[in-house]
Amino acid sequence: MSDRNDDNLKQEDSGGLLARLRRPSRKSLGGLLSVGFIVGVLFWGGFNTAMEATNTEKFCISCHEMYDNVYQEYKETIHYTNRTGVRAVCSDCHVPKDWTHKMIRKIQASREVWGKITGTIDTREKFEAKRLELARREWKRMKASDSRECRNCHSLESMNTESQKQRARKQHEMAIEDNMTCIDCHKGIAHHKPEGMTEEDEE
Amino acid sequence: MKKTMIAGAMGALFALGAGNALAAAPDWSKVEAANITIFYPGASPMEWIMKGTEHGGARALKKGETCADCHSEETADMGPRMATGQKIEPTPIAGKAAFIPVKVQAAHDGENLYMRFSWKQPAASGAPAPAKDDANPVKIAFMLESGGKVEMADQSGCWATCHTDSRTMPGAAETKTKYVKGGSLADGKFFDLYQWRSGENKAYNGYIAEERVMEGGDALVSAEGKQEGGEWSVVFTRKLAGGQGDVSLESGKSYNFGFAIHDDSSAGRFHHVSLGYKLGLDAEGDVKAAKQ
Repeated sequence: MSDRNDDNLKQEDSGGLLARLRRPSRKSLGGLLSVGFIVGVLFWGGFNTAMEATNTEKFCISCHEMYDNVYQEYKETIHYTNRTGVRAVCSDCHVPKDWTHKMIRKIQASREVWGKITGTIDTREKFEAKRLELARREWKRMKASDSRECRNCHSLESMNTESQKQRARKQHEMAIEDNMTCIDCHKGIAHHKPEGMTEEDEE
Repeated sequence: MKKTMIAGAMGALFALGAGNALAAAPDWSKVEAANITIFYPGASPMEWIMKGTEHGGARALKKGETCADCHSEETADMGPRMATGQKIEPTPIAGKAAFIPVKVQAAHDGENLYMRFSWKQPAASGAPAPAKDDANPVKIAFMLESGGKVEMADQSGCWATCHTDSRTMPGAAETKTKYVKGGSLADGKFFDLYQWRSGENKAYNGYIAEERVMEGGDALVSAEGKQEGGEWSVVFTRKLAGGQGDVSLESGKSYNFGFAIHDDSSAGRFHHVSLGYKLGLDAEGDVKAAKQ
């Protein structure tokens, strides 16, 4: 009797749990959604926060490879300090702003982590030896995107060539005529130009 | 009688010569002046100018623009970069003047062309130039080219004669002078050259084709230079017509024109130079020579 009762109880229990799962109460559904939402927000927020943290100048120059070489050169340029007080940091030029392209770039950048671990540019000599290759890779990326990162701030359309110096005016007028892109001419605008560039690099 | 006739003829010739000499002096105060600032160029031969990885304007030149199209307003800003060794000057001279503003005037009378250059003597550098001309503290030269037959002459003026292997350029042989690519007097591929030297007080009329030749031109009549109160003025007189190695000048035409000053007893490339300009005889030009 008691056995039968126990069996019945078990059956009722299992039937009840299954039934409850099949037909969740509004409370449990709400709870599940709330937890999911909060976890989602935390995950997404955390992910983006972490990703944005890798977009800061502080992060970029935390590696001595960047701090000792390209950062010192950039500090001499107008993108670092100028009369208007607007500064473009590393990621403004080297990481796309929109999410999709930013993600693609960040995935590509994981290769740089491997470079860091294996020490491909961990001395001045190694950096200089590899500099042209690295620069060419970045020029190619910029050219392919029609200098998208430059154009986050600059555009030929909004440029008043009349108020530019003679040389800049002439060059920009030619750039408009020939449908050129910023990086075609502005290589070495924030860092020294690499040794060993060829005429092809300027085309 | 015969003697009288000879004396008379000589007197007439003399009077004619004196008349010419009088006619030869334009009233410079009435001749329009072009203000051209010449600058210290460092080591910037044509080979550097046309190298896109070094000079951003190489692309513009290949498209047919002139040096002056981009740089005519900024020569006084360019000079200091080379004079101080910041750019393309491996052996900077301490205190070297970076640029010299020059007034250029020109006139003609149907027979002769008169060119007057005047400028304020810049402060001496106080350091010897790596290439010196102790005999001549100051030298001024100008060049003319006709028809753009010399490659790049239309765009760069006398820069077309300046090459990386010419004497006083870094690593160049002392024996190699200025030259133009494919230079040939017979083909008209040359620059006509005039120079006045202060120490020797002497003028030269030569040309630059396969090499630089300082003498032998027929066009030069005279060159007179003087310094008064720190102001230099040098007047060249040359015949419009010319012989071999001279550019013959005609009213209504424009010619490629450039000039340079060797200041501070300097020699070779350690001079101040102009961009390429046009000299127009009763014609359009950066420097206009109107008939007086």
